[in-house]
Amino acid sequence: MAKSDLISGIVLTIFGLALLAYIIPTQTSEGGDATISPALLPQICAVGITGLAVLLTLKAAGRLRRRLPAGTAVPHSEWWSALAVLIAVSAAASIFKWVSPGLSAVLLVVGLMLYMGERRLWALIGFPAVLVVGAWFLFYRVLGTAIG
Amino acid sequence: MEDLVPVFQAALAPANLAWVTFGVALGYLVGALPGLGKGTATAVAIPLTFYLNPLAAIAFLVGISKGSTAGSAVSAILLNTPGEPSSTPTAMAGYPLARAGKAQKALKMGLFASVLGDLFSTIVLIMLAQKLAEYALGIGPVELTAILAFSMVFIAGLSGHSMIKGLIAGLFGILVSCVGLEVETGSPRLTFGIIDVYDGLPLIPVAIGMLAMSEMMIQIGQRHRLSEESDLLAGSGKREDRVVSASEWKNCARPIIRGSLIGTVVGILPGLGASVGSFLSYGAERKASGRGADFERNGALEGVAAAESADNAVVPASFVPLFAIGIPGSVIAAILISAFTIQGITPGPLLFLENRDLILGVYVSMLAASLILLIIGYFGQNIFARIVRISPALVMPVVVFLCCMGAYLQGGGTFGIGVMLLFSVIGFFAKKYDFSFVTFLIGFVIGPSFELSLRQTLGLVTNWSELWSHPVAIVFAVLAVIGVWRLTVLQRRQMEAMANR
Repeated sequence: MAKSDLISGIVLTIFGLALLAYIIPTQTSEGGDATISPALLPQICAVGITGLAVLLTLKAAGRLRRRLPAGTAVPHSEWWSALAVLIAVSAAASIFKWVSPGLSAVLLVVGLMLYMGERRLWALIGFPAVLVVGAWFLFYRVLGTAIG
Repeated sequence: MEDLVPVFQAALAPANLAWVTFGVALGYLVGALPGLGKGTATAVAIPLTFYLNPLAAIAFLVGISKGSTAGSAVSAILLNTPGEPSSTPTAMAGYPLARAGKAQKALKMGLFASVLGDLFSTIVLIMLAQKLAEYALGIGPVELTAILAFSMVFIAGLSGHSMIKGLIAGLFGILVSCVGLEVETGSPRLTFGIIDVYDGLPLIPVAIGMLAMSEMMIQIGQRHRLSEESDLLAGSGKREDRVVSASEWKNCARPIIRGSLIGTVVGILPGLGASVGSFLSYGAERKASGRGADFERNGALEGVAAAESADNAVVPASFVPLFAIGIPGSVIAAILISAFTIQGITPGPLLFLENRDLILGVYVSMLAASLILLIIGYFGQNIFARIVRISPALVMPVVVFLCCMGAYLQGGGTFGIGVMLLFSVIGFFAKKYDFSFVTFLIGFVIGPSFELSLRQTLGLVTNWSELWSHPVAIVFAVLAVIGVWRLTVLQRRQMEAMANR
């Protein structure tokens, strides 16, 4: 964990400094006649995050110097699954916007089922079909609203 | 007394009871599936509540949280795979019993202990929340600022392994809550010119992303392990291995009472969480019984009873600070805030004045949910035992689909899905690198009220000496400082002990 803490600390310190030096000044107005500046709370948070991130970095560096256990790394399979979910949902959202809600739902579910190793034809056809019909029935019939 | 009749009529109406039953059954089902917990179950169910009346919506979500908490014992006992961390002690004491052919007995005791713990905690909630709210009505902005700061420190220190990371997560949550039009001046703040975020980032997509989607990313990565664990144990067929006897009831009575008390106290304190409750209760019973490691070697019904009663007592008790002060002390409470917000209701001390009938209706629904939980759990035991065998390849894509639907419906269309994806990535990193996502979410939820009370405080208190007229605020500020110091020392000792091992 010490190595990841060190990287997290450095990234968060840079993020905190970017907040203080650029993001908050450019993305928050002065507030005119406001009793308290609108930037006050974001600035408090940014100062807190930066200070704590520096502390995290220093502590992690100290642990690495003392050669304390570095902890376990995130398995590659989890990185890949995170990426796969991101791609699948982004693609489904695009299809939803430009083609149709039903098709995007089917592709999202089938895509993830295939990624997870499901190869049974009845499951790949039946499951998404039941899901889409179920969602349609619940929202359009039971709850009386529409999606898309 | 007469004015309670309409409350009971509304809460016990067939439609409301149907939603409670649906919630408990859905929660039990999701809780029973390995890798899925009450946070995921409640988050993905929120879209269904948009179109319900406030009582049915809250009762439905409460039913889900109760059902999923109890349901996680099924996979813990049968597969040695806790639905969530708080069921780990149940798996430790229950799985050896299942291996010995006593799965049904362990499941039954787990259910009975869950229902009793849950019922006890619900009664405490009913008795305590309104009294606390009456005191909270006298709290001014200065005191509220100190209480919120203290709660954040407490939650940050207890919900992870590092106080520093917990505080960073909490501050990040408050920072993210600043996005949108500023309250006093109406000027855009941290919006990057995106009009969709002028009203602030929508809570539901943020919550679904941080809780459910990020969890799915991790679980899908662990799909091979989950598939291997889907192996049901057969029962011995003997009656004494299926039924809980009178002597076993007698042995389990004390752990259930102790577990219910521990779970309730842990639930009331913000940030401790169900895991602390179930481990404390299990540890206490393990010590009191004098059997030690035999609990894990041969299994122990008392261990299951202790862990499950505490685990289930935490959920209703965590609503005490939510209903009385408006502070969500747990993930479920934070999600429940969003359900209240959708219905135009603000949790806090005024809840009992402005929405008394609703809260009383929720109480009746919660008691009904306990009974429904017992019925569904008891008669559905065999069905749920089969359901835990469903392949994760069928379950996970459905959960992802439900997450997208929820984010779409409450997040302003595909923009909501984008927000959900952004926070699922943040949640993924937070979970993997031990930045408490619970603290982040609670910081995000209480951010606006913290800012408001801070502004009012800065307006009221112009110099330090004026603080002496707010002793409650001073007490909480001092407690916050002591909390940072003590919890940091505690965590350092834990780290050193871990390193020495």
